[in-house]
Amino acid sequence: MASKAIKFLEAHQSKTPSRFAEEATWRKENASWLRWSRQLAVTLIGYMQDNGMKRADLASKLGVTPQYVSKLLSGTENLSFKSIANIEEKLGISCLAICKG
Amino acid sequence: MKFVRIIPKYNHLWAVKSPDEEADELTLLFRKWNNAEYLLDFFMENFDDLKSFFKIERLDQAVEDTLEDAEALEEMVLDFPYTENLDELFKPLDITDTRMSELTREKARNWDRDTHASWLRIYAIRLEPNVYVVTGGAIKLSRTMQEREHTALELEKLNLCKAFLKANGVFDQDSFVELTNEE
Repeated sequence: MASKAIKFLEAHQSKTPSRFAEEATWRKENASWLRWSRQLAVTLIGYMQDNGMKRADLASKLGVTPQYVSKLLSGTENLSFKSIANIEEKLGISCLAICKG
Repeated sequence: MKFVRIIPKYNHLWAVKSPDEEADELTLLFRKWNNAEYLLDFFMENFDDLKSFFKIERLDQAVEDTLEDAEALEEMVLDFPYTENLDELFKPLDITDTRMSELTREKARNWDRDTHASWLRIYAIRLEPNVYVVTGGAIKLSRTMQEREHTALELEKLNLCKAFLKANGVFDQDSFVELTNEE
């Protein structure tokens, strides 16, 4: 039987259900490629700090919009090899660890 | 004040859902902690604390550590509500929050983190054994919650939730008597 506390919470429940479990499960299921995206974001953050750059400077150097830089920095974008190669070429850095068999 | 159940059909873990926000406190917290751009802004704003309290001067390291820590903590939060062990994940916020008293303020973090202590905190009110309501969370870089605005706000949210629950008679006197007798 539900306790007094549980009954109170149920009586004051929001109509909007929690999305935590759904979103956390998605992150867990997509963890392998999200790690690559996060690694890229972390590399860019280090690059910006080393070179005293702001987002706008990075956008300018990459020839992209600030909105695109935001996506890169979020660490949640599923980027193509072509996009990553373009970033590496423009910045003269290596963004991702080399895959080893 | 409204609440949401974190795992459908399980009663252990709940979170506050503000009418002004699109999602509940726990969902919002992990969205932020999984976003490297949000973390970059946060550590830029709190760079002095990062240096003085944790001796870290690299933003990329701070962001990377947080993403890793958030992943570990998220996994714990995802798994614990299915069990009867939430009391192991949360600990009383301070000395005044003994579990012998009603509606205690609690914190959860990744207690086993390597290299440096975890700075991620989830804050909750413990309603009864193994039943918690998450009120929010923070990246805590300072010694006390009172000394920084963003953590002081979280303390206020904890106190507001506790006051709301208390004012509505949520405290279960029978549970309190049972706990007292166990001592």
